[in-house]
Amino acid sequence: MVALARKTLIYEWRRFLPAILAVGFAGLLQLLQLALVLGIFGSTSLYITGSSADVWVGYPGTQNVGSGRSIDADVVSHILMDPAVQRVEPYIWVDGDWRGPRETGGVSVFVSGIDPAADGLMFSRVLPAALRARLAEPDAIVVDRSALDQLGVGLGDTATINGHQVHVVGIGSGLRALGGVNVLCSLDTARRLDNDTADVGPTYLVAKLRNPSEAQAVAVRLRGDQAFGPYTTWSSADFARRSVLYWLFDTGAGAGVLFLAGIVFLVGAVITSQTLIAAVNGSVREYATLNALGVGVAALRRVVLEQAFWVGALGLMGASALGILLMLLARSQDVPVVLNVPAALACIILAMGLAAVSGLAAMRSLRRADPATLLR
Amino acid sequence: MHQQANAPAPSQPALRAIGVSKSFVSGNLRTQVLKDLTLDLDAGELTLISGPSGCGKSTLLSILSGLQKVDSGRVQALGRELGELDLRALERFRLQNTGFVFQGFNLFPALSAFEQVELPLNHMGMSRDEARRRARLSLEEVGLAHRMRLRPAELSGGEKQRVAIARALAKEPQLLFADEPTSALDSANGQMIIDILHRIARTHGTTVLCVSHDPRLVTHADRVLVMEDGRILSDRRSAAPVIDSHGTPS
Repeated sequence: MVALARKTLIYEWRRFLPAILAVGFAGLLQLLQLALVLGIFGSTSLYITGSSADVWVGYPGTQNVGSGRSIDADVVSHILMDPAVQRVEPYIWVDGDWRGPRETGGVSVFVSGIDPAADGLMFSRVLPAALRARLAEPDAIVVDRSALDQLGVGLGDTATINGHQVHVVGIGSGLRALGGVNVLCSLDTARRLDNDTADVGPTYLVAKLRNPSEAQAVAVRLRGDQAFGPYTTWSSADFARRSVLYWLFDTGAGAGVLFLAGIVFLVGAVITSQTLIAAVNGSVREYATLNALGVGVAALRRVVLEQAFWVGALGLMGASALGILLMLLARSQDVPVVLNVPAALACIILAMGLAAVSGLAAMRSLRRADPATLLR
Repeated sequence: MHQQANAPAPSQPALRAIGVSKSFVSGNLRTQVLKDLTLDLDAGELTLISGPSGCGKSTLLSILSGLQKVDSGRVQALGRELGELDLRALERFRLQNTGFVFQGFNLFPALSAFEQVELPLNHMGMSRDEARRRARLSLEEVGLAHRMRLRPAELSGGEKQRVAIARALAKEPQLLFADEPTSALDSANGQMIIDILHRIARTHGTTVLCVSHDPRLVTHADRVLVMEDGRILSDRRSAAPVIDSHGTPS
């Protein structure tokens, strides 16, 4: 079979270049947008995804990690009674007002009181063991390196949170928060920093299971007992999704992403389809000749669709290469970008969908390839 | 369209138009292009239709080749009623039985001469080797064996038209239609195309129907039809057998 679509694409590459670039940039734009949104809003579930807990226990109706209420500390005994549970530890969230040594004004901080033990669950994936051990010291805190300027401190400096003195014993990375600054300290330090007398228990209990794949079933099983006051449970995946979705929709960012995706798709499709239509029109007499010789319209349509496919594939390849470079650049600059398989798939589907729609549009101009018009 | 499609009897003409009329509407104006035209064409003959532009000769060609439908009348090609075939069936009929050569050569810029010829064969359901064998033979027949790896941009006008003829010929069609095949060529190249078309009719038994107002063609045709105003004015058969003025083209 003579590869008409591919040979034409290679021979007349200048003609197809605008379409390839349009698909490529549409894909790239979409990819970076998604990566940024996932990066920024993904940080709202850092507390969950950065920890190795499988089940979270918190106040019923909690919409995201940052808006928890304290629960009865005795719930822990109920959780521990479940045979699937291996370890439970409390997690205390305190909203703090930061006063640094330099002129930074007040900074809103999110204090995370965690178990500093070496096998502690909270932040186990983002906090190195050495830094975690240092938190055992009273009033010791760890902050993210990207927040140093904002907080106006360096390693070893002293500041106050809610009027209590703290000192910076370590600087971590990957601890960025959205709408404030994360401050990590021990559970004891966090209790001291909490000025709210109504908070008696921990904000959350986090549990590690013997078999993490049972998280959903165990979370459901642990619900419903009201003996220790109100509480509910989520699997960590559920709670992380809940947090990200809350932020996406609370801030309108979700609608923004969809809107921009629509615009990108539209602009990309217009450019790509116009280019493909021009390519078909440029060869319309040759197509008509083939049709006169008996090559069916369906076969000619396949040629156009195949060209659209290659345009999409080439555009995607370019977008992937450029996207990886830009993501690495962003990472090196502490810009939160995250790309996962579903997001990458979404970008691929969007770019190939764009190429397919354009190919279908270009196919319509094959109607002009009527062999009778060659006999004039 | 009430006649059954029969297999062509030996005595039956290859192409037959019976009372064919065709008109076009442009704006409020209705132009009658063909007026109750009846015509038989025999196999193995090179028939030339000539006449002034607008006389309806190209329309007659497109109707006889199944590219256009008639307003009234019937067209039989190889014993089939073309009016009874739908679009798909017409495509299939053309694929199996007809070749076309147009005034513009209509070659794909990206394909080599060999690929231009091989491409339609791919769609005829023959094996790759068979398609390539036929493409090679066909290009050899038009004298382009040494040029078959070249793209259209590297070929002269005469060579391009020979590639177009090879593309039509490789299908081994029973019907070959040519529309002004020489009008874009100089006399030497035009002469070569005429000889090839004539030889195709003779050696392959192909019915070759050629539309042209090129006077050089007239002396080479087995039969010359002159048209005017949608009617056939004269129908002349050449008495003596036509002799190739050149040998095998280079």
